[in-house]
This record gives sequence, structure tokens and C-alpha cells, in this order.
Amino acid sequence: MGFLTPWFLAGAVALGLPVWLHLLRKHKTTPLPFGSLMFFEKRTQSSIKHRRLRYLLLFALRSLLVALLVLAFAHPYVRQTVLASKRAGEVHILAIDNSLSMRSGTRLQQAKTAAKAVIAGLGVGQRAQVLGFGSRVQVMSEVTDDHNSLNAGVDAIEAGDTRTAFGELSRSLRATAQSLKLPLALELYSDMQQTGWPANFNDLRLSAGVQLHPHPIDAKEIPNFTVENVVAPRRVYDGKKTRVLATIAGFGNKKATRSVSLLLNGRVTETKQVEVPENGRATVEFLSLEVPYGRNKGEVRVDMADTLPADDAFYFSVERSDPRHALFVQDAPGSRGLLYFKAALEASGQSAFAIDPATVDQVTNVAPGKYAFVVLSDVGAVPPAFENSLRDYVRTGGSVLIALGHLSVGRAKVPVTGDAIESARYAGREGERFQTTAWLDSSHPSILKDDKWEGVKFYQAIHVTPGTARIAARLSDQTPLLLDQQLGEGHVLVFASSFDNVANDFPIHASFVPFIEQTARYLGRLDAGPASVLVGAFEELRDSKEKGAAVDVLDPKGERALGLEEATKAQNIQFNMAGFYDIRRPNGRNELVAVNADRHESDLTPASPDNLALWQNTAQGNAGEGSAAGDESKPVSLWWYVMLAALLLAVAESVLGNQHLSVDQEAAG
Amino acid sequence: MLQRFLDPSVLASISSLDLVAKTVVDGFVNGLHRSPDFGFSQEFAEYRAYAEGDDLRHVDWNVYARTDRCYLKRYEGETNSQLLILLDTSASMGYGSTKVTKLDYARFVAASLCYMANTQRDATGLIVFDDEVQNYIAPSTRQGQMFRLLHAIEKAEPGTHTDFTKPFVHFQNFLHRRGIVIVMSDFYEDPEVIVKTVEPLRFHGNEVILFHLLDPQEIKPTFKDPVLLYDMEDTVHSLEVSPEYARNEYRKRIDSHIEALASKVRGAGMDYFLMDTGRPLDEGLREYLQVRKGRL
Repeated sequence: MGFLTPWFLAGAVALGLPVWLHLLRKHKTTPLPFGSLMFFEKRTQSSIKHRRLRYLLLFALRSLLVALLVLAFAHPYVRQTVLASKRAGEVHILAIDNSLSMRSGTRLQQAKTAAKAVIAGLGVGQRAQVLGFGSRVQVMSEVTDDHNSLNAGVDAIEAGDTRTAFGELSRSLRATAQSLKLPLALELYSDMQQTGWPANFNDLRLSAGVQLHPHPIDAKEIPNFTVENVVAPRRVYDGKKTRVLATIAGFGNKKATRSVSLLLNGRVTETKQVEVPENGRATVEFLSLEVPYGRNKGEVRVDMADTLPADDAFYFSVERSDPRHALFVQDAPGSRGLLYFKAALEASGQSAFAIDPATVDQVTNVAPGKYAFVVLSDVGAVPPAFENSLRDYVRTGGSVLIALGHLSVGRAKVPVTGDAIESARYAGREGERFQTTAWLDSSHPSILKDDKWEGVKFYQAIHVTPGTARIAARLSDQTPLLLDQQLGEGHVLVFASSFDNVANDFPIHASFVPFIEQTARYLGRLDAGPASVLVGAFEELRDSKEKGAAVDVLDPKGERALGLEEATKAQNIQFNMAGFYDIRRPNGRNELVAVNADRHESDLTPASPDNLALWQNTAQGNAGEGSAAGDESKPVSLWWYVMLAALLLAVAESVLGNQHLSVDQEAAG
Repeated sequence: MLQRFLDPSVLASISSLDLVAKTVVDGFVNGLHRSPDFGFSQEFAEYRAYAEGDDLRHVDWNVYARTDRCYLKRYEGETNSQLLILLDTSASMGYGSTKVTKLDYARFVAASLCYMANTQRDATGLIVFDDEVQNYIAPSTRQGQMFRLLHAIEKAEPGTHTDFTKPFVHFQNFLHRRGIVIVMSDFYEDPEVIVKTVEPLRFHGNEVILFHLLDPQEIKPTFKDPVLLYDMEDTVHSLEVSPEYARNEYRKRIDSHIEALASKVRGAGMDYFLMDTGRPLDEGLREYLQVRKGRL
């Protein structure tokens, strides 16, 4: 019980009034003379006692009346407990976990059987809804009292490869409770994996009207081995044998030796034995991967020895292709800029691009469209025809990197973009002597990996009016160093200094290699994605140019993942199954995406009962503390009842008081 | 106009008792003049021939001058012999719920009666008693009798408790002529005892009237709260009395006492008159005159 306006309780001091009136104000006991007492008797005492008793009754009534009035002003309320079984209109939500871990043994089947038993026990008019949940919540049936429909919903739940997300289930229930505005009883059928718990416990919060009844299915720690991770290249550009590194993890296991195989396109290429420590990890290195041209399905598999075979294989895709060509335009053959640029690109470990050097004189008739990107390294005059074709090339999606050196100073404008060149900035012997990078935009793809160009000295920089270009780096005198100008579908990246180790010493610094590598990938539109993604990840299917064009996506079972309408409209796809997705885009960029289940699912350790109890209490916690588990409590104002009682008391007090008054009046008469 | 002077509380503010008596009687008489139903005995009744020994003061000298014979003027009042007032001054008579006690009231009544009797040439006497005879003034029509009576009445103060038997034995010795005897008391005694004690006064042919003086609070007590009462004649004896008892049981008892006393007194051939000290005095006087008229 509580009070909304407890300050009014101070009015209880008024209780002193009846106390004073009845108890403290003494009746006169001074003896009075009377003519004769011959007509009085001793037995009058009892009558006095009786009257005193009535006086006490009146006193009690008055005190109670004052107390009730004070109480009414203090606005009392109590929390009314509603028994779980008596909640009107309660809807049962049958949530069945269909995450990867439920594939262990017959867990999913057990969950379905238990859910069906609850459906069979529903009375007439009792409504329920079936949900399947992993990382997302799937509504399997409407809110209905039709048992057939509910059973069909349960049957339709299939084992998935997603990760358990209790937080997502709670979020979905909060939304359902808000829309239905009815009390919900959540029957949860899950193996209650600890790894399914969200990082923030608050995400599990249930609405006040939701009661959680957990039904743990086979919730015990079972030994399980899994291929936790595989490091393999996404693309290879030569015929050399490639290294593949696999991590084998054991959960709840004892020390064991397992055999691990590397498969390529379904054929075992190598098998190794590995000793997995107790509850630990072991690494296996394969050096024998020879990748043929095209898209290949790679797989690392650990021999089957547990109840959950779904996580015994780890998929990766690897693509073998020839390197793409990039045009490097220089003022004269054999420039130092080419040397440093090429060396940096090769040092990155991947020969995805082959540099085709050319001088300004040689490019007049070159069509830039066949190159992944074009570099203009400190060139003076660019042939107008080439500049025009470059501009067209950029507008249709090509990319150009322009390094401005001393030859550029004579030009009024930057080639292709047409941005004005204001001046050349030289660091003199006096003053600063050199410039450093004052600011780097770490979100720019060229700077992403290394956003600190420490110790790099810039002696000369060309000041370009940025216009609409995005500035990715500035020197200490605020001269824009790296500008990214979008032109049509493509990009022009302007580096306001040269790569020749003259205008700056950038090429001899370690940060030059990642810069060149990232810039090449960015300009060549070569995504550096991993060899595999997790279930639940999204993949972009089309860009803005490809509206209306059909994209074919074949899921791991070989079926079309998208319907006809989706195939022409869907911007992206979410991978819900482990295996290989074959994506065929209208521009010919086909892709094989390896999808693996989240390895958090491999840890079958159930959540502690304490955590489960805490989750259950989130609903009660919202409604108020102290209520019994499974019950819902809500505040109910007692104001009306108190006022009604006060009114009745006032009437009783009036009647009794009147009686006293009439006695006195009669006596006076 | 003068009627309001019959109110006891008004009279209480008048210090001189003879003035009180005059005020009461004059007011009463004036009131009577307005009432045609009631005659007054002080009127001329007849002439009688003078006989030896008659008081020469009553000779009608006008008649003598015209007829040369002595005739005496006779009034109706002169037919009465005497009035004796027995005034009880026991302690209980000192009770009064207002500023007029029963004794005060009795004094007023007694003084008024004396005054009225005096104007009618009635021989008036007074016995003041409680458990003893405190004062005795023999009935007489002599000069100064009135002042002696008023003085004795004024001097009467509440004494101890009442004991009818003791003084009443002596009273018979004082009564030689028949007349009217008025006993003024609150009669807190068994009616049987009272009647037995007072009855012998009748044997000489006296008209005996019992003026039963009671305070309104004694007749209908009104207590709002329980009170502790003590007996004025027995101060040790006290009782706590509830309003309910006073309202119900006591009233029944006092009423039955009054009724028993009245019926026994009347049964013994005496007159009984209950005087509420909260009411005007003329009622007492009227009662006296009625009795006196009956004797004419």
C-alpha cells in the first residue's frame, strides 16, 4: 500500500480533536448540592458506565472519521494482484527455438511435442499464437483458438542455422503486447543457451502483461566440436598453393584427437589430425590448396563425433581470376612515382592489379574503359582526347587517381575534375620547413586501415580549390591533401602531392603501402570481403543503375531464394542458411558467398536458472515489487472506498451524536 | 403591569420583604380586579349594633351622626379568626437552581400572605421551625404585628434537617382558636409520616393547607452530564447521578411521592398545594384565598 500525496498524512494531528473532546476534557466531578437524595439510588452507576461506553463509541467513530478523511486526502492505493490463471483474455504465445543448437539430438522435436501438448490443453475460447525464433522471430500462426491452425504452425517450424537471440524475442513480445493490449503468457521452448543472452540484460525486458513460462528442452551441457573459423583468401590471382588456417574448438569436451579435412568443391584435398584440449581450441594449417579458375566451394570439416553435426563443417568460397590491369600515366618513362606505386601495390601481398605504365604521349588513343582504374602521376598537359575519354570513363563508373607534382603547377586546373589549382605551397628553409598531415578522414576507404601518417613530411603541395569534393586529408597549413570528387558513377581521387619521394617522403614510409593498396581496391572496386559470412548477414544485390534487372540467387539447397518479383526489386538478401549462395547479377558480377552458422551456437551450455528467473521477473519488476512470481499486480486507488467509508461513518456519527443531543434536549425539557 | 413583579426572580432583587409583600399583593389584587369571576372578601358585609366591648374604631360615625345610633361596620374578612404560617427552614429549603431558593420563595409567599391577611384584619401568626421550633409569633391583629412577622420571616435562615414529629407536637399547644394553618415545606419525608404529624392540627377545626415547595430542578431535573450530588441535609451522603436516571427514574419517583402526598393529605381532609418555585407567587395566594373563601 502506498500514498500518492503522503504529505496530507500530517493532517492526522487532527485526531487530537476528538481525543481532547472525549478523553482529555474532563467532565465536572465537583459535587453539587441537592435538596434530598431520597429518590436516588446507587444503581445509577451502571447507567453512567453505559453512557460512557456510548461516549467511547462516539469517540471511536469521530476518531475514525478524521483518520479516514486524512487517509482520503493522502490518496492511498494498493497493488492488486491478479492471479495468472484468472487474467481475462490472456493469449498464450508458444515460442519455439529453431536455432542451430536445436538441431542437437531431438531437441526441436521435443519442443514441438511439448508445444502441441499445451495446445491440446487450451480450453474453448483460449487463444494462442505460434512463433519460431532464432535471430529473428517468425510468426507461424495468427492469434487464434483453432487448434488445427496452431498445430500446423508448430509443424511448419524447421530447424534453422540462425543464432538464438532471446533479446529479439523479447522485443517482438513487447511489440505484440503493445498491439494486442492483452495479457500474454509466453511458453518458451528452447535449450536456453547461455550464448543466446543479449549483451544488455535490459533487452530481455518483458512488458508488464507478459508472463514467461520457460520450458527448457534438454538443457544440459553436451560435448561438442566445431570448426570455429577458417582463414582463407577470397580471391587468388595465381596458381600457387594457398594457405588455409582452420580453428577447431571444443565445448564441454575432454581432451581429444580429431581429424580435420580440407575439401575443395566436394573433394578432400588434405586431412590432418589435431589434438583439441579440454574446453579449448586447436589450429590446423593447410598449405595445399590449389585453386582452379572460377568460383570454388571450400570447406573444412571435422569428423562427426557429437550430437550437433551441423557445425562440423565450415564453408568458404575462393575465386581464382587473372589480375586486373590498371593504367599508370606518367610524364616520362621510368619515373620514380611508378616505381614506388608499383612496389607498394606488390608489397600488399595480393597481385590483384597489373600496372600498365604509359607516358602522356602514348595515351592519346588509349581507351581507359578496359582498365580497372587510371593513375595520372604528376603529368603536365594531358591530351584533350584522352582527358575527354577519361571524363566519360569516370562518369560511367571508372576511377582515376591524380597525383599533382611540380608539372601540375603550370596548369590552371586539375585534369578531369576541372578544379582550380590556386598555387603551389613550398615549405621554406625558414619557418616550418615541412608540412605534416594535420587531419585524416578515417572513414575514407583509402585511409581506413591506417589513419596516422606519422613522420611523413610534405615539402611541396598543390593547393586546389576543393569545390564539391570530399576532403579526406589536410596538411598542417590546412591545404587539402586528398580530395575525392564524385563524377557521375565514378570517382576522381586527387592527391595534392606526388609519389616520387621528392615533394614528400611518403613513399618511404610504412603507411604508404596500405594507402596505395586501399586506394587501388577502392578505385578498382575490389571488395575485400571475407571468404565467408555468418548466417543472418546481408548482401547487396544491385546498385542504383541496375533497377528492374533480375538477380538470381540460388540458396545452399539449389533453390531460388528470391521470388520473381523479389528478383527484380530486392536491394539485398539475408542469408538464413549455412552453405553456398550463388548470386548472379545482371552486370555479370557473379559471386559465390559462403555462409556459416554463428559458432556461438556450438556452445550448448544452458543459461543459469538465476538468469532465467531474472528474465521472468522483468515483467513483474515493471509492475511492482513484492508480488508473487507469475502474478501481475497493478496499483488500485482506494480513494473512493475510503470516501465511502468516511461517508458511512459520518452518517453513523450523526445518528449517534443526534441521539446524545436528543438525550440532552429531553433532559433539558 | 404589576404582574411581572410576581415573578420570584424579580422579587429576589427587592431587598425589603414588606415591599415584596406589598408588590405581590397589590399586583395580585390589581390582577383580580380585571377578573370578574372572582370576588374579594375585604368588601363591606353588614352593620351590626354596637355592643359593649366592641372596638370603637369600627363604629361608623357617619351613620351615628345621621341616626344617633352606634353601628359597627362589618367586613367579610373579619369573620376569620387567624392565620398561622408554619415555615420550614430545614437545610434542604436552602436549595435553589436559580438565585431564588425554596426558602426565599417561601419567605415571599409567607410575607405576602401575612400582608394580605393583615389588610383583611386577620390575626396572623408564624412558627419558624426545622427540627426545633426556631421562632414563634402568636397570631394577633395588634398594631406592629405585621412588622414582627416580616422581621421573623426575614430572619429565617436554613437550619439543619427537618424533623416534623418533634416541633409539631408543640404546635397544638399554640393553637387555641380555629383558623387556617399553612405549612410551608419541601416535605422530604414519607407521606404517611407527614400526614400523621400534620393531621392533629386539624382537630381544633383548623383548615390546614400544605404548601409543598419544590424547585423546578427537583421536579424535573435536567442534567446534561453525569453529576455528583450531595444531600444538603446530609453532606456526607453523595451520589453520582446519570442524566438518564434523573430523567426517567427520579421523575417517576418524585411524581409518585407528590401524588401520594397529595392524595393522603386530601384524604385526611387537608388541602395540598404544590408550589413550583420557578412560577409566579400569585398561585399560592390564590390557593389561600380559595380556601378562605370556602370558610366564609
